[in-house]
Amino acid sequence: MADKVGSVLVIGGGIGGIQTSLDLVESGLKVYLLERTHSIGGVMAQLDKTFPTNDCAMCTISPKLVECGQNLNIEIITNAELGSVAGKAGNFEVEIVKHARYIDDAKCTGCGVCAKSCPIDAIDEYNYGLCERRATYIRYPQAVPRAFGIDKDKCIGCGLCESLCLRDAVIYGDKEQVKKINVGSIILSTGFESFDPALKQDYGYGEYPNVVSSFEFERILSASGPYKGHIFRASDAKMPEKIAWIQCVGSRDRGVERPFCSSVCCTYAVKQAIIAKEHIREGLDTTIFYMDMRTYGKGFEQYFNRAKNEHGVRFVCSRIHTVDPGSDGNLKLVFSDDDGQLREEEFDMLVLSVGFKPTKNVEEFANRLGIKLNEYGFCKTSTFSPIETSRAGVYVAGAAQEPKDIPATVMEASGAAACAEALLAEAKGSQIVKKEYPPEKDVSGLKPRIGVFVCKCGINIAGVVDVPAVTEYAATLPDVAYAEYNLYTCSQDTQVRIKEIIEEKQLNRVIVASCTPRTHEPLFQDTIRLAGLNKYLFEMANVRDQCSWVHASNPEAATEKAKELIRMAVGRAAFLEPLHTIPMSVIRRALVIGGGVAGMNASLSLANQGFEVELVEHEPELGGNIRHIHFTLEGDKPQEYLNSLIEQVQAHKLISVHLESQVKKVSGHVGHFESEVRSKKLEVRKIEHGVVIVATGGVESKPIEYLYGKDDRVITQRELEEHLANSQSTIRNPHSVVMIQCVGSRNEERPYCSRICCTQAVKNALKLKEQNPDTQIYILYRDMRTYGFREEYYYQARKAGVIFIRYDEQAKPVVSNNGRLKVEVKDPILGADVVLQPDMVVLSVAIDSHLENENLAPLLKVTLDASKFFLEAHMKLRPVDFGSDGMFLCGLAHSPKLIEESIAQAQAAAGRAATILNKERVEAGGVVSCVEEKKCVACLTCIRMCPYDVPFINKAGVAEIEAVKCHGCGICASECPAKAIQLLHYRDPQVVAKVDAMFG
Amino acid sequence: MTEHFEPEIVAFCCHYCAYGAADLAGSMRLNYPANVKIVKLPCTGKVDIIYLLKAFEDGADGAYVAGCLEGNCHFIDGNIKAKRRVARAKKLLDEIGIGGERLEMFNMSASMGPRFAEVAREMTERVRGLGPSPLRK
Amino acid sequence: MIIAEQKPIQEIKAMIAGYQKVLIVGCDTCVTICMAGGRKEVGIIASCLRMALQIDRKKPQLIEDCIQRQCEWEFVDTLKDKVDGVDAILSSACGVGVQALAERFPNKPVYPALNTTFMGMPNEHGLWVENCRGCGNCGLGRFGGICPIARCSKGLLNGPCGGSQNGKCEVSKEMDCGWQLIYGRLKTLNQLDQLEDILLPKDWSTDRDKGQRKMFRGDVYYEQTV
Repeated sequence: MADKVGSVLVIGGGIGGIQTSLDLVESGLKVYLLERTHSIGGVMAQLDKTFPTNDCAMCTISPKLVECGQNLNIEIITNAELGSVAGKAGNFEVEIVKHARYIDDAKCTGCGVCAKSCPIDAIDEYNYGLCERRATYIRYPQAVPRAFGIDKDKCIGCGLCESLCLRDAVIYGDKEQVKKINVGSIILSTGFESFDPALKQDYGYGEYPNVVSSFEFERILSASGPYKGHIFRASDAKMPEKIAWIQCVGSRDRGVERPFCSSVCCTYAVKQAIIAKEHIREGLDTTIFYMDMRTYGKGFEQYFNRAKNEHGVRFVCSRIHTVDPGSDGNLKLVFSDDDGQLREEEFDMLVLSVGFKPTKNVEEFANRLGIKLNEYGFCKTSTFSPIETSRAGVYVAGAAQEPKDIPATVMEASGAAACAEALLAEAKGSQIVKKEYPPEKDVSGLKPRIGVFVCKCGINIAGVVDVPAVTEYAATLPDVAYAEYNLYTCSQDTQVRIKEIIEEKQLNRVIVASCTPRTHEPLFQDTIRLAGLNKYLFEMANVRDQCSWVHASNPEAATEKAKELIRMAVGRAAFLEPLHTIPMSVIRRALVIGGGVAGMNASLSLANQGFEVELVEHEPELGGNIRHIHFTLEGDKPQEYLNSLIEQVQAHKLISVHLESQVKKVSGHVGHFESEVRSKKLEVRKIEHGVVIVATGGVESKPIEYLYGKDDRVITQRELEEHLANSQSTIRNPHSVVMIQCVGSRNEERPYCSRICCTQAVKNALKLKEQNPDTQIYILYRDMRTYGFREEYYYQARKAGVIFIRYDEQAKPVVSNNGRLKVEVKDPILGADVVLQPDMVVLSVAIDSHLENENLAPLLKVTLDASKFFLEAHMKLRPVDFGSDGMFLCGLAHSPKLIEESIAQAQAAAGRAATILNKERVEAGGVVSCVEEKKCVACLTCIRMCPYDVPFINKAGVAEIEAVKCHGCGICASECPAKAIQLLHYRDPQVVAKVDAMFG
Repeated sequence: MTEHFEPEIVAFCCHYCAYGAADLAGSMRLNYPANVKIVKLPCTGKVDIIYLLKAFEDGADGAYVAGCLEGNCHFIDGNIKAKRRVARAKKLLDEIGIGGERLEMFNMSASMGPRFAEVAREMTERVRGLGPSPLRK
Repeated sequence: MIIAEQKPIQEIKAMIAGYQKVLIVGCDTCVTICMAGGRKEVGIIASCLRMALQIDRKKPQLIEDCIQRQCEWEFVDTLKDKVDGVDAILSSACGVGVQALAERFPNKPVYPALNTTFMGMPNEHGLWVENCRGCGNCGLGRFGGICPIARCSKGLLNGPCGGSQNGKCEVSKEMDCGWQLIYGRLKTLNQLDQLEDILLPKDWSTDRDKGQRKMFRGDVYYEQTV
């Protein structure tokens, strides 16, 4: 067999493909990133904002685009398709068909002269045809690679662009090329396409101009969209006063052969309604017509509630049958109101929340790749291997597998990277080339020459702040040698420009006034490094998140504040000094906390990549929650899976399991943590490790209502499942059962949705029906959240005669016991009280965070959210990372989720952890405290005040702080009574200069 | 004078929580007065008492320190240390005649964007009520 | 070491209010360690004074400096050039430092920024206790290493008074009874019998009662006049 190849083919350059590529290269595998269109970015690059934080999609994806574009080990192959695939896992021979672009992307600078001169208009697909582009075009301003292409279907061959291009990049005679590569693994992140709403003829899409699809509406909302962020309706360019959304267009609809739920539309509709209201300050009525609000993800329910209660978005539970034309271009809807009465209402504009469908020609693609699809045309996977396709060595991430949101896609992307890394463990590093930075310029002794780059961020900043005036002002500040503004300072072409300007203007300090350093500082720091400047010679002014976005109602004050913020940055920048880091070796061992499905999968994934794992479980046996799960909707056998998982974990020579043990102390830092694990017998074991993965799980909450604990006939879903799985149980065969959903979830105490309970109820209902089709089952629910392909089972349950009764949170069911159990509930459709007398009441109870989280969070110095689940670094793009380097999370420790989701997340955490463990060294130092020995009086203050016991009195009798150990908090520096300690990059003059500059 | 008085307020925010909360306030488009300008530090434990005094000396009408929730400091207890320094600085400001109420310590997590906006409003209102710093009169 | 604490800003302000240019000098030794008058505190005092004076419409020039030990001529002399240009000196050191400056720079008024409190040590970070009165005639060997002069509020030498209760002094419930501590320590050392010796009245001639004390060492003090 041929040797394994240390490279991976990633198909699809959306956010999933980008994340998996970045993880793979960090872990030592070369990536070929294949993209069908001219540029990477996928659907996320077309979105305006992302839920539930309303972060600007472009702002969050843009640094990743640039990172991909800049990475030497990611070869982006655009305008290309998969040809043939031969070979097998570890060594595939792949043919890539690269279609002609007619512009050489290596030569093109993206200057845009070609497109400006192009006389031909064509439909702009990036904006879903809402506007036009030229035949010579770039997909979107921030596109990576930053290169134009020619639409040959439209091109008339006039030769204008060819004659104008100074780089001779236009190649009219460009031909299709076939490229052959060998890769060890293939990862699919081909995403989805949106349902064509024209197929749903009753909604008038394509017939009435003011009916748009939700994807089009996303572009309408976008500052870089067809209307520059202003909401207009197509018929008369009027700003709408009333917009309605219709949910489930092309989802949950057997009539159009899309029986599954698209999972994300409810939350994106909520988002669009909120954002639309923000856009139209004059007042906008928004109504969402839905079947079930499926805001099941982390933080989504709270988002939905905010939309309802704070933003005043109206939600109407009604399936719209037809859309009729109203007066003056309006649309007329007939719906049943909350009281069950039919009502007619007109709206200025209608947004159809369209669902997902598989990509075009998916069957043919699957054939070429030799993988199986499921009945809906999505990539087939299984519950316990959610990332593996039917062909070994081929993995899938994101919506190619099932409709899903960005965080789930990003998780699977990291998980897929972990799978490929395990497969190709021995080939890691074999095809990697290292990034070379030019030698660093010595700026010592030079007078500061500061360059200021002010970002318009489309209209995010420029719409509020007078950017040209601010730039002009910046140019007048002391030491500022150059100032300019950019449409998007973060775009790849601006990075090139910054580099050129640093050279040209001899800059030795750079300031970017744009968004937050929390997301964008590394990007700009890398840029100045490429220009030979130390990365600490960079400073940011946050004129978006902390200015234009929060002072939109007062543009003058915002402009003044932006000037002040830049003045402060300039004041500080003059005092910046270059800093250097120290390479520090990595302990290539992971500490995994929690031995449930998530913890075991994370451990196995890392161990299979060749890393040692210390797995700590506080209970006497491995397994966690899955020990109570006996069957799944898909017919899997969880207990068999669990046994095999435990067997693999215990047999793996790189995994040490510590049962009945708890982590008691964690110190150290990324690459080198030192922890103490205490066993039940109080034995303390010291473990050195490079990363931590938190997989502490969650717990089924104990209900305090509906007679639970007072009447044996009231049990939880999990208890029912135990009975159903136990052939000895006496209550396996009830005559009638009432299930109550959202017990303890979606209320004041637990404002979140517990995500799994609807699926669990349907599962148990179907099991009861399977055992005895005559069992009467009533499920009292608020919204059935059987998202994705689980919708099919909801349908089957209804077909099997399970009766679903919706109840309102304000009128919860009442369970009483007069000898017989009695359940009373108000059916909003009938408008009448329904009285049921079941044998058994089953409660779908909330999932609580693990109590252990509150002990662990301070040990790890990580944050919990309001519900005591661990808080990830970023909801969208860093779903398994903690804010602190080297720490990751997965499973129910993060939020309630299904088994397959826990497994995918565990693999993701392993994938992310591997990006560290794979390195021999991480760089330490930089922002650390430093003692000026001459001033030190050995007063011991630093030693007493340091939270990490780092400083000590050395042989010379003065305090010493080891850079590798210093966390860089600066507490010692602020306590030292002799002012002998300074925190580098935050030296007193650097901080004080910033304060001083605020006041001119 | 007081009617049109726009106070200048410095907020010393820790990188992990308060600065994140400020960014979140931005993401959530929560409006708050433009009077507050942030100086980012790795931890409020880095807030030297001299920075607080310098801010007032430079002409600040108000200042505050915003760190992680107590018990959740990324650096264990930097925020507690900051709290003590703020208490001393308040006393000094009282002694000087500027008034300790112009300075405050707040705690918030990175997920508390609305709280950040609320604090910005609260401090702006408070300082506006107090009038310009005696140093600026 | 010598423990000191900062005077209230208003008190310091009143002392220097009439001067245009003032040199504020800290000391890198005891008062730095007890966080009362080192480089950092000089910065704090200066900043506070600038503000307090500005409120009074005064804009004096305050020069900040800190020397290694204000109680040594050689270090004090390094200030000479700076002192020449100022109207007054504010010493952020113990009383010894203040006097050293005053003696060296007789033409400049020197003011204290600190109150020198006692000789002691930090029991915990930020909590200092007085452990020695400098009586010049140490009897710690007799008291198990615990000084009754410094730590018994009455300075008794032959056992506790009747006010000792539950190990606390009758003067303050916060204060340990020095004699209880001595007793406990001697018991641990198995030297309780020492307490049976009655001490004669202490010879206080070595204490400060006879005025400023002096001390010299013949082997190093060459200019002695006999």
